[in-house]
Amino acid sequence: MATGNPGRPAASPFAAASPPAASPFVASAPVVTTPDGPSVRPPPVSGSTITTPFSSAGPMVGTSAPPPFRPGPPAGFVRPSTPAPPGPPPSQVPPASNQFQHFSTPQFSMPHQPPLSRPPPVGFPNMAQPPAQPIMGPPIQLPGVPGPSPPVTFRPPTQTPLAQMAPPPQPYAQGPPAQTPSYHALQPGYVQPPPHQGMTGMHAREHMQQPFSAPPTGSMQDLVEDFNSLSLGAVPGSMDNALDPKALPRPLEGDVEPKAFSEMYPLNCNPKYLRLTTSAIPNSQSLASRWHLPLGAVVCPLAEASKEEEVPIVNFGSAGIIRCRRCRTYVNPYVTFTDGGRKWRCNLCALLNEVSGDYFAQLDATGRRIDADQRPELNKGSVEFVAPTEYMVRPPMPPLYFFLIDVSVSAVRSGMLESTLTQPQMMVVSDVDDVFVPLPDDLLVNLSESRHVVESFLDSLPTMFHDTMNVESAFGPALKAAFMVMRQLGGKLLIFQNSLPSIGVGRLRLRGDDVRVYGTDKEHSLRVAEDPFYKQMAADFSKYQIGVNVYAFSDKYTDLASLGTLSKYTGGQVYFYPSFKSGVQQDKLRHELGRDLTRETAWEAVMRIRCGKGVRFSTYHGNFMLRSTDLLALPAVDCDKAFAMQLCLDETLLTSQTVYFQVALLYTASCGERRIRVHTAAAPVVSDLGEMYRQADTGALVSVLSRLAIEKTLSSKLDDTRTYLLKIIVKALKEYRNLHAVQHRLAGRMIYPESLKYLPLYVLALCKSTPLRGGFADVQLDERCAVGSILMTLPVKSLLKFLYPSLIRVDEFLLKASSLDLQDVEKSIPRLPLTSQSLDPRGLYIFDDGLRFVIWIGSMLPPEVARSLNVDYSSDLSQVLTSMNSCLLLSKKYAHPLFFSHYAY
Amino acid sequence: MYWDLILWIIALVSNIALLAILLYQIICLSDLEADYMNPYDSSSKINSLVVPEFILQGVFCALFLVTGHRFMFLVTLPLLVYHARLFSRGAHLLDVTEIFRALSHEKKYRVIKLGVYLCFIFLVIVRCPADTVSILSIFSSEHGELDIRSPFLEF
Repeated sequence: MATGNPGRPAASPFAAASPPAASPFVASAPVVTTPDGPSVRPPPVSGSTITTPFSSAGPMVGTSAPPPFRPGPPAGFVRPSTPAPPGPPPSQVPPASNQFQHFSTPQFSMPHQPPLSRPPPVGFPNMAQPPAQPIMGPPIQLPGVPGPSPPVTFRPPTQTPLAQMAPPPQPYAQGPPAQTPSYHALQPGYVQPPPHQGMTGMHAREHMQQPFSAPPTGSMQDLVEDFNSLSLGAVPGSMDNALDPKALPRPLEGDVEPKAFSEMYPLNCNPKYLRLTTSAIPNSQSLASRWHLPLGAVVCPLAEASKEEEVPIVNFGSAGIIRCRRCRTYVNPYVTFTDGGRKWRCNLCALLNEVSGDYFAQLDATGRRIDADQRPELNKGSVEFVAPTEYMVRPPMPPLYFFLIDVSVSAVRSGMLESTLTQPQMMVVSDVDDVFVPLPDDLLVNLSESRHVVESFLDSLPTMFHDTMNVESAFGPALKAAFMVMRQLGGKLLIFQNSLPSIGVGRLRLRGDDVRVYGTDKEHSLRVAEDPFYKQMAADFSKYQIGVNVYAFSDKYTDLASLGTLSKYTGGQVYFYPSFKSGVQQDKLRHELGRDLTRETAWEAVMRIRCGKGVRFSTYHGNFMLRSTDLLALPAVDCDKAFAMQLCLDETLLTSQTVYFQVALLYTASCGERRIRVHTAAAPVVSDLGEMYRQADTGALVSVLSRLAIEKTLSSKLDDTRTYLLKIIVKALKEYRNLHAVQHRLAGRMIYPESLKYLPLYVLALCKSTPLRGGFADVQLDERCAVGSILMTLPVKSLLKFLYPSLIRVDEFLLKASSLDLQDVEKSIPRLPLTSQSLDPRGLYIFDDGLRFVIWIGSMLPPEVARSLNVDYSSDLSQVLTSMNSCLLLSKKYAHPLFFSHYAY
Repeated sequence: MYWDLILWIIALVSNIALLAILLYQIICLSDLEADYMNPYDSSSKINSLVVPEFILQGVFCALFLVTGHRFMFLVTLPLLVYHARLFSRGAHLLDVTEIFRALSHEKKYRVIKLGVYLCFIFLVIVRCPADTVSILSIFSSEHGELDIRSPFLEF
């Protein structure tokens, strides 16, 4: 958002004034300081009545308020609903402090908020803030608002009524009559932003019918305070029924990690490792069932960390790793030491464990170990333990890459097996259409003997098969041979396949071309492996610690649904280069292969996620194989792999106030050391559905939903999958609406929590994404399967970028590229909303979804821009692109997925 | 005249064998669930027994057809058809890769089948002796002896 909202009219008074809507928690600060704030709102106006309409406000919130994670006295929460004096902040930051401060009675948030330097009625500013984006963004453009005077800017309307509304202590009790005339007068101007598009089609239509029939009678301040809304009706009196796309929320700043979570529990691991779909765990099964969205987590155990936040490595040496006797939880910042430091209590199962002599340390007055600051495992959410020999079944394996190359002119003969047993970071290559792209390895300095052999082999490979005319591929036998070579050690198998396996075991049929299957109940069978051979091989590979990455190049059907099975169960990945041409896609292949081989890889890994009593992870989604009910076998895993899992409640009512999660990944690092990476996080248990919505994390939700959807395509029709997704969203938003509809008349408006404002957009994007889009003719079956497989592995950030790619206009920067620093360029180029209005025929745009670039050249591109590309239009487009790429110098960052589609007109 | 008796014994033995096979499969699944066994072993052990079980059940069913016990044949036929359908779809074997997802379903399926086999064994015990005894009782009535069971078993 720092880059501003380029697509938004500058005329909007809020473009500048409104805080970044996507990061409400930070943003609220400046608004809070508005002078009206303190005076406007008396504390007793309890926001909690909104969220828990059926219960008394005070105590309810008290219990719902996530408690401090040590068994501290919960007195602060049960405190009566009088404005508590700002007491000294307790040692733990209360969960949801920000949220409460926004949405609930201020008195609860007050005493528990260390960073709080604000006056009590902090709840107020929020009213101006959340709707800023959806509602107030473009108010000035209103064509025919029947308000008092069109030029009324938006801030006054929202605040003045408040000032008038606020003095009565109980605005609810008063109801509509209490509303001042001015409030009503301003009302239309406020509630009726320009016609908005409904996010979910069905609702939109339904509400279109009743354009503002009933003016909202609820008290506006609470309404705005608690949720965002999007008016769906047309403006009365205006002929223009068109929707204003600019009013829709757009995630132009990409993925924003929820800050509240890490703020309330500063000892939690970084959200890039573990993200919960909602950071507020429901305390009962009935509450969980009312939360219609998936309840779960997305784990990316090896996410790339910058230098400062690298995971510290701890070696306990002979003492052994400190773990709970019963539940095997690793020691973490949330364990409590008692009995003068001789015992520690496990935070997951509450068992008292002895502290071994080597690990003993005194406690200070507050019950904290005196050496806690020196021990990363006691003050960091993420830590890496060096595993002693108990954690090995065999000596740590050396990294091993094995290349299985289909040598083909056009899908030529005999998936001929070439094995190259090499040392780490050896780079080898595929051939496609007999074009060979050897990648010299510039990372390793020592050129071992085998290296020469490999290189000479690679050099000779193209010539070896120069004349081959065979069209068959014996993929299955080759796979078996590879398996036999690798089974001693395990490692990573890279398969370069250009044709449909056609000989020997595991041969596949051409089955993707059948139009008739689409729309029938058998449609899904196209997307699952045809031959059980592949599943069996995948299981064997996983058993012997072999990870499989599939690189597919063919323009014809290669049945990636079957080949992808190999990587699905071995923690691998599918790379797909449809109709590979070395000239065009060579860079993409080079980059992706290079990254595949050089990124930090964890070998022969297993992962388990533990959680506290009462909750349990029920299903797992991603590329792995389950070795026992909760143990994920990952032969080779790296920073680009994330795993999603769903949570279920075992007990009908959770008694604990905090739920802890611990992800443990046992792996062999490339340096040959066996290690355990442990991420610990805590989340509060709440009894309030509204709180769950407020703490929701759109990124994690989208990630889980996308995996659920893709798994659903394997067992049902695409249509059903899309309906399934939409139903989830509609149900969730409806439930949220029901929470608030009691107090507010919300006809013609769609309401949604601030935290989920992008969710409908992302889900729609998901429905239109390659794996779920359309029917037979819309996407090639292979591409569907390949992208589906990619979506199953992507971490949250990349997934969101894939679903809502960035579009940037580069022509201006192209002209001054030489004068600008690369860093500046990257920072200053704003992302544009993905609408056709954003595309100016005089511009040059780059559309980047993380997997490829699309470069859009406007039909009226100014000649000077064209000149700066140093090419004339008549020449080959690919040259244009190449030169532009070098010109942009963005290659450092962007050169990776280089795949150009050209749109020129 | 002792064919029926032999049939009864064969049916009983094969039925017990079916029960044993199924119990073993259920135990394997439970072991897997309790993490006493890894999915590779568990699924290979179960899968190696699936086809024998189907064949045995087919024989069991055919036995009644051949010997003309229509009722027993009709009772066992649906399961045979179900097995045949599973087999033809290739869905009869456990999928080792997705075994945990299918675990509860597979277990339920096997427990239900266990119940079906128990019904079979009950029927075998009741019906076959009834036939046998009725024949015997005809003999015995000729010889003037009285079988205690005959009055109600014939009924």
